[in-house]
Amino acid sequence: MFREKCKIIENKKVAPGHYVLKLASPRISKNARPGQFVQILCADSTDPLLPRPFSFLTASKKDFSILYQVVGNGTKILSQAAKGDSLWILGPLGNGFSKAQKGEDLVLVGGGVGIPPLYHLAQALVNRTTSVRSGSWHRTWSDKPNNIHVFLGARNKSLLLYERDFKKLGVNLHIATDDGSKGSKGFVTEILEGFLKSRQRTPAKIYTCGPTPMLKAVSLVSQKYQVPCEVSVEVPMACGFGACLGCAIEVDDSRGRRFAVACTEGPVFQAKEIIW
Amino acid sequence: MNLETKIGKITLKNPVLVASGTFGHAKEFERFMDLKKLGGIVTKTITLKPRLGNPPPRIVETPSGMLNAIGLQNPGAEKFVQEKMPFLKTLKIPIIVSVMGYSVEEFVGVVKFLDNTDGIDGFELNLSCPNVPYGLRSATKASADSSAHAARMFAHDASMIEQAVGAVRQETKKTLIAKLGPDVSDIAAMALSAERGGADAVSLINTFIAMVIDIKTRKPVLANKTGGLSGPCIRPIAVRMVWEVFKKVKLPVIGMGGIMNGKDALEFLIAGASAIQVGTANFMNPQASLDILNDLKNFMRKEKVDSLGRIIGSVKG
Repeated sequence: MFREKCKIIENKKVAPGHYVLKLASPRISKNARPGQFVQILCADSTDPLLPRPFSFLTASKKDFSILYQVVGNGTKILSQAAKGDSLWILGPLGNGFSKAQKGEDLVLVGGGVGIPPLYHLAQALVNRTTSVRSGSWHRTWSDKPNNIHVFLGARNKSLLLYERDFKKLGVNLHIATDDGSKGSKGFVTEILEGFLKSRQRTPAKIYTCGPTPMLKAVSLVSQKYQVPCEVSVEVPMACGFGACLGCAIEVDDSRGRRFAVACTEGPVFQAKEIIW
Repeated sequence: MNLETKIGKITLKNPVLVASGTFGHAKEFERFMDLKKLGGIVTKTITLKPRLGNPPPRIVETPSGMLNAIGLQNPGAEKFVQEKMPFLKTLKIPIIVSVMGYSVEEFVGVVKFLDNTDGIDGFELNLSCPNVPYGLRSATKASADSSAHAARMFAHDASMIEQAVGAVRQETKKTLIAKLGPDVSDIAAMALSAERGGADAVSLINTFIAMVIDIKTRKPVLANKTGGLSGPCIRPIAVRMVWEVFKKVKLPVIGMGGIMNGKDALEFLIAGASAIQVGTANFMNPQASLDILNDLKNFMRKEKVDSLGRIIGSVKG
């Protein structure tokens, strides 16, 4: 984990209200694993006060990127930052998604602004040269992209973030939009359930990130079809490194029913351990 | 340059402490800074028994501030001694353990339990957590509701402050600091009660009881309904309260409330604080406390002040 002022390489609009911010930092990038996140101080002021957490979208040897939606004052200021500006970054933070074994069928389910960490994950799963420092994370993986099924859901087709980039990775794409402007009309969990029902071989794992109602629905589907499921949660967060205990999430795990903190114990949890 | 300052029996090598609940048990910050450079550490509040804390959402940001309702999540006194103290001891800087009880008996219990633990230099009595239910008065029925209307904290009642501090005073010879809450009409009267009870110092202020409402759901954003407001938005009120207490009470004052930089810290010191605590700033910048210490040294160098004693309480007019 490092704290440094990182230079902006690019801050580009990719969809209505959505931006990709690319920042230079070899140390943070090299250590970033899919599912981990950074804290970004959006401004040098006291309003907005707290840093904002963002999952990695990509991470190479020299730089990393995040994909964010403008939802409030902090992200609005962030969207106005220009190439060459510098931002205080803390990361990589939290625990990422777990490793995959050779030959496994894997399912990734992303909704809206929860899609970015799944792109990072899909890249790592597909591209074994991706810089992932966690040792054997990617080296254990030697399957073809067609073992990977990615389900993307959004309100409409313009918010299907990074759809084309997923396509380029060669993974199997399954799309659902609320308004039917692309793919099936309805929730992504509906096509996920249809897929699981039709498969003779149960996938080894589901990885998911998105709005909480979607995570809950994916979690229920995963339990119904007995597929282990990892969810990356989004909760209000202050420090990002376990000091404030603000980002609590109720779990029932080996330590009993309790409040876990999403920043250091998550943000990836076993779906079955979360009390929804 | 002499930055030394005294709080009860504890001599701090510099006046920069970190505030309870914003610094974990220090280990969380080890990666970012040399902890040994701090004047001292105030731990996250410890209760006799473990506490799970409040359900989420626990925090929400406000203009230049934040509300929290963590609910004193902590491992309890026994686990604190086993799991947190060994590391804290290695730092060889003053360790002040923040403690809280729901009754006078519980305050006494937790201090009694911890008093013989090696490495603890003092206790800060958290008389003012706004986010837990207190079983203080018969009017306050046992209830899980810890929002403002149910909170009858010690810090709101001068006689209760004196009673709690006085009872704990019987149990320990270590430095005893009473942490006061700001939601009172006369903060100096509360400090005087702590003095009468036998406190060695007072620290102020804790967070303000506050609320944010989601206008769409028309519900409070925090699950606890109310939370404690901290950050730069409360600073001018905190400075005023430190100044009022300094004028009327002989005890050393530890000042806090939205300190983000050296200038902020100096306001508190000039108003009369013998030491300061850095709180919310730790969340934005984990090494904020040491940055503030450096700012302080630079100010003294620039202003040719060789001793912190010439700054403390130097407010004019």
